[in-house]
Amino acid sequence: MVALARKTLFYEWRKFLPAALAVAFSGLLLLMQAALMFGIFDSASVYVNTSTADLWAGYPGTQTIELGRPIPRDTEMSLRMDPDVVRVEPFHWIDGDWRGPADRGSVSVFISGIDASADGLMFAQAIPAEMRRKLFEPDSVIVDQADLPKLGLAIGGSAILNGHRVKIVAACSGLRALGGVNIVTSLATARRLNSDSTDRDKVAYYVVKLRPGANPDQVRDRIEKAWPGRRFTVWTKAEFAHTAATYWMFETGAGLGFVFFTFVVFIVGTVITSQTLVAAVASHVREYAMLNALGAGRGALRRVVLEQALWVGGIGVIVGAIVSALLMLLARSQSVPTAFDATAASACVVLVLTIALVSGVMAVRALSHLEPANLLR
Amino acid sequence: MATTHALAADGIAKAYSTGKIQTRVLDGLSIALEERELALVLGPSGSGKSTLLAILSGLLRPDRGHVVALGEELGKMSPPQLERFRLHHTGFVFQGFNLFPALTAVEQVMLPLGYMGIDTRNAQNRALAALEEVGLGSRVHLRPLEMSGGEKQRVAIARALAKKPQLLFADEPTSALDSVNGKIVIDSLHRIARVFGATVVCVSHDHRLAASADRVITIADGLILSDIVRSNDALPPSVTLPELST
Ligand SMILES: Nc1ncnc2c1ncn2[C@@H]1O[C@H](COP(=O)(O)OP(=O)(O)O)[C@@H](O)[C@H]1O
Ligand SMILES: [Mg+2]
Repeated sequence: MVALARKTLFYEWRKFLPAALAVAFSGLLLLMQAALMFGIFDSASVYVNTSTADLWAGYPGTQTIELGRPIPRDTEMSLRMDPDVVRVEPFHWIDGDWRGPADRGSVSVFISGIDASADGLMFAQAIPAEMRRKLFEPDSVIVDQADLPKLGLAIGGSAILNGHRVKIVAACSGLRALGGVNIVTSLATARRLNSDSTDRDKVAYYVVKLRPGANPDQVRDRIEKAWPGRRFTVWTKAEFAHTAATYWMFETGAGLGFVFFTFVVFIVGTVITSQTLVAAVASHVREYAMLNALGAGRGALRRVVLEQALWVGGIGVIVGAIVSALLMLLARSQSVPTAFDATAASACVVLVLTIALVSGVMAVRALSHLEPANLLR
Repeated sequence: MATTHALAADGIAKAYSTGKIQTRVLDGLSIALEERELALVLGPSGSGKSTLLAILSGLLRPDRGHVVALGEELGKMSPPQLERFRLHHTGFVFQGFNLFPALTAVEQVMLPLGYMGIDTRNAQNRALAALEEVGLGSRVHLRPLEMSGGEKQRVAIARALAKKPQLLFADEPTSALDSVNGKIVIDSLHRIARVFGATVVCVSHDHRLAASADRVITIADGLILSDIVRSNDALPPSVTLPELST
């Protein structure tokens, strides 16, 4: 069988190029936005994912770190009572106002007061023991190195945070926050920086390390059962990370924006791809009519068009993947939060091939008024 | 009709309506054609030659009348049945060559054979033989862009011929060509009738082709004006081209 679809596609590649590029571009847009969104989700749960805590205790109904409220101090005791708990550590989270060099104005920041001891749980994966020790020095802070330009300072620089002078003693990586800058301090420094004096000694969270081999879900259930009148909730690490991502997805409108954007990309991609394919098919309608006169069935001719659509889709996916990979590398090098996995990539590929196939089905209709009798004139 | 003919039309009528105006093109025309015969249908432009050819070949249904081709009545066939009939029994050559730009000559000829279920090797052999028959044995790897009009039309003839059709329909096959190439094309069609026993119907407004036909039918006003059988038993010359002979 002569490979009519493929040979025409490669011989007249200029005609099909816009379709392949439309497919590639649609794929690129979908993938980039998926990567950005997953990156945002990762940032939303950065506190949870960079810490080695197995359980989190916080105010009931808290959906994301920023929305935490102070919980009673005896929470710590309640947690320690469980036989599987080996370590409990407070985590202080407060809003801050950062005034660096005069020409910068003020920057809104998130202050994290953590246990700075070497085996501390909070940010254990982002801030190694060497670095966290520096926080014992009063009024010292650590920031993400990607945020240094935003603060207008280098390591060793100092600024006014909530009315107190603080000094940047180190820069870590992997702590970029959403819509602000994470400032890490010791618990003692955080307490001093807290402007709300009534709650000064209360914290919003306690984080818990369990005995190796303990089942976090079971321990959570056991603690909650042991304290029926408690004014705190216990989440496992996975639950709390998931809650934060879900909050961003459904409560902030990011999810709706994602769905809407995907829809728009799909429509625009399909319109451009199908128009190009329709034009390419229409330019050969006489040849197709001749084949039909010679006895090639309409079904067989439709398959030629669909095969071309799939080729266009396949080539588009490859081009899109290469460009996406390059852009992703660029984004990573600029510390733009991006993340994506095989599932997201396959979803994009499926969606983009669907664009090509739907376009092919639309282009097939260009064959519907095929009239071989019109070749005779 | 007592005797059976390869192709016979009986009382066919066809009118086109554009808006409120109806144009009668064929008006109860009857015709019977034999195998091994090149029948040339002559008539001025707009006399309904193409319409007649489309009806005889099963591409168009007449308003009235019947067409019996190879013993089967085309009017009783469904569209897919007509497609199958055309696939296995008919070849076409049109004024526009309708070749796919991406395919080489041999691929153009092989393409319809694939739809007939012929495997690639056999299709290739048949295609090469057909191209040889029309004098393009040394041009089989050229694409339409690299061929002259005459060569393209001969590829189109080879494409029809390779199917080994019992019925071959040609609509103004020479009108896009100069007289030398036109002669080559009509002689090829004539040879196909004689050598392969096909029934060849060629419609044209070019009276010069009459010399190469076995039978010349003239139509006017939707009816047959004259039908002259020429006794000419000589085998038409096979194609030898100035540029091909060494
Ligand atoms: N599809 C059509 N719709 C309307 N009129 C048509 C159509 N096809 C042919 N005609 C008209 O029918 C007449 C005969 O056409 P045709 O069979 O092509 O003649 P010929 O091939 O002898 O030039 C012409 O007047 C033409 O305009
Ligand atoms: Mg005509």
